[in-house]
Amino acid sequence: MSAQSVSETQQSFVKGFISFIIIFVIVLALWHVFMDANGILKFYTPMLGFSLVAVWLGSILLISNIFELSPFREEKMSSSGGLGLGLILTALSIIFMLIIVYGIFWNFIGRFGVAYFSPASIVASGGTGAEPFVARENASTAIIYIVTAFIWWTLVWDLGFGAWPWLDTSKGVRAWSKFCSISVLTVLTYAILFHPHVCQLFYPPQDKAGVSPWWAEFAGTGSAFLSLGLALCSLKWVVISDLLWDGYPWKWLGKRGQGNFIRGLVTLVGCLILGIISMVVLLKIMNIYWMEPFEGGQYTDAPYFRYLHAGEISGFIVLAAFILKTYFNNFPNLSVLGSSALIRTVIAFLGGGLFYAFYYSNLSVMLLGKVPGVAQPDDTPLVWTMLFLSVIIVHAQFFGGWPLKRSKS
Amino acid sequence: MERRNFLKSLAAAGMVASVASPSGLLSREAHAAGKVNIGEVKNVKVDVLTETSWFDNDILKKNMMDYGGAMTSQYAIPWDPKNAGGYAALITVTELDGKERKILLDSGWSNEWMDYIFQDKSNVASMLKSGEIEFMVLSHWHLDHYWGIESTLKHKPDITMYAPKTFYPEDMALLKEKGRLTAKDKSGEEVLLCKNDVPHTGKLILCGPEGEEGSGVHKLMPGVALRMFDVPILLRVRGENVLYFNVKDKGIVTVTGCCHPGILSLFSFARSNFEGYKPYGCYGGLHVSLFETWDPKFDDLIKGVKSFQIAKMGCNHCTGWIFAEKADAAGIPIVKGTDKFKTYTRYSTVNKGNNVFLTNGDSIVF
Repeated sequence: MSAQSVSETQQSFVKGFISFIIIFVIVLALWHVFMDANGILKFYTPMLGFSLVAVWLGSILLISNIFELSPFREEKMSSSGGLGLGLILTALSIIFMLIIVYGIFWNFIGRFGVAYFSPASIVASGGTGAEPFVARENASTAIIYIVTAFIWWTLVWDLGFGAWPWLDTSKGVRAWSKFCSISVLTVLTYAILFHPHVCQLFYPPQDKAGVSPWWAEFAGTGSAFLSLGLALCSLKWVVISDLLWDGYPWKWLGKRGQGNFIRGLVTLVGCLILGIISMVVLLKIMNIYWMEPFEGGQYTDAPYFRYLHAGEISGFIVLAAFILKTYFNNFPNLSVLGSSALIRTVIAFLGGGLFYAFYYSNLSVMLLGKVPGVAQPDDTPLVWTMLFLSVIIVHAQFFGGWPLKRSKS
Repeated sequence: MERRNFLKSLAAAGMVASVASPSGLLSREAHAAGKVNIGEVKNVKVDVLTETSWFDNDILKKNMMDYGGAMTSQYAIPWDPKNAGGYAALITVTELDGKERKILLDSGWSNEWMDYIFQDKSNVASMLKSGEIEFMVLSHWHLDHYWGIESTLKHKPDITMYAPKTFYPEDMALLKEKGRLTAKDKSGEEVLLCKNDVPHTGKLILCGPEGEEGSGVHKLMPGVALRMFDVPILLRVRGENVLYFNVKDKGIVTVTGCCHPGILSLFSFARSNFEGYKPYGCYGGLHVSLFETWDPKFDDLIKGVKSFQIAKMGCNHCTGWIFAEKADAAGIPIVKGTDKFKTYTRYSTVNKGNNVFLTNGDSIVF
């Protein structure tokens, strides 16, 4: 490596580090304005804030991954910088978020189709517990679950199927086709993994609309936190293999790096298996730390908390992977990809550990307005993690890293 | 504790072997630790002084919704004072020699309501004055258990008090400094939340999960122990004191304010830490469907309670009527209340009159 390239790399790391610090501060500021219980808007009720952040992340992925920044892509590639485009796309993602939550779910699907997506429809249905606060929390829970399925499928599709089967079509056809396919799979996944939980949120349970949670016997809980945790554990491997392993090993199954059906299927199953294995490992570690959970236990004794917490830990690792990729040039970049991938993965896990330590430290009590302790039923680090991820993706994809663009190593 | 730390250090090494075991996702092995002998009592009686912490669920939830939800500080919400009631219980312990000793659990929320409860609907005021009530246990620092503290202290300012050590400055200002705490409503007007003109002058024992001499519990009298569970709770509160009674020939009874840690977690603690553990019963708010809503995890709880084989469950307050009804229907031994609550000036809007709650004026004996 020449002295010039070493210098460029160092400069790039410095720029990346500065960008990361600025983004971290922006996330704290956003948290204070929108979420913090001691802040201004206090959306973290918790489910309302959770749903807004989840839908915002979904909207960002819709723009960046499904529609590939269309019709703004050419402008993004220009050398004029990312501020203008960044502002437009960010505004667009926020508009999408508002339309999806307040328009599509609360006032369209919820009013004319599935009542539990709309607080107003839940309240209008009457009965025990159907008042505005709980109704809003329950509608938000349903939205969180369906958006989780959407995010999961979007990332899996991108990594595995890629542009298949629309390789030779226009970008518009590809985007709309992908969107429709992912939406169908999202609805199917939601119906099987999450809808049974949502149907039990009411009294009496809506057992004509949804079966009792079919996983309750073997999981030790009827909560869909099992599915949520598994989805996030699996997503962790999607992100790791996409960002830190440069798409391998799945890439080996496609010609010229392009996706196909087999590659998609193997990616899907492979990431699910890896997700299950890592979830079991995390559960075993939690068993050693907190002892065995048991059916009916609460807080750290609750099986549903353990599943959710496996997902929350995965969320921290995903966050660290995105930061490594976005701000630190996916360090290291060795000549052998396997070695780089291994070291990057270790860094992501360690970084996830640092975020875990931060979130449950007294520092976050001060900065995020939390109550000290783990397993508070009204708190999940996923909201902060998703907000952080959203801002990183916005910065990287919409603003092109503006203002401190880094040279490629 | 040492064993737990040792296990933590072995976590990474044991992980691989553990994963390879055929025990499935959630195995059921128990973890026994060093056990404590808390002694025995002959019996314990709980009089429900008041379990109606608030009278209208919808108003309480609207107050929360309007000012930020479950994570907001309880001192930042201008609660509707007309909706305030309170939670308190009188516990009478009969020792093995037949001697009776009394404990006050919590002091409610509204001073007006608590004065009515302590003076008009019970003899608590006179028992405090005479010293018949030996001490007060504050379960946790939530408004409906604590903000009515003046109603206790006006009769006995030097009462010995056990409280969780996880207090905030506002909590201590109310207890010790003639606090008058207010919050701003949406129009910017200051609303009085709580006040106390009678500072506490007695012994204040702040309890942590380490307990006395690292035993994990505070032994209050033979057969009676207090355990502080350091758990985060809604409205920015943290930590709850739980009372354990070991009733001779029957077993362990828990008495709680809200039971935020979870009733089965309390019994799980007893199983791991008390000599001669045998589950028997529980009384108190059980913090399940407090907002009269449901969740699959509440079904888990019903199944779990059945597997723990608790013989007597007396519940009220934040347990939720729905949970009590479903638990009763599922065969859990819910101890039924009476219609005495109708003799009180107010009662809860969610009271369905089917007596699955032990309500104001009821008693339970273990």
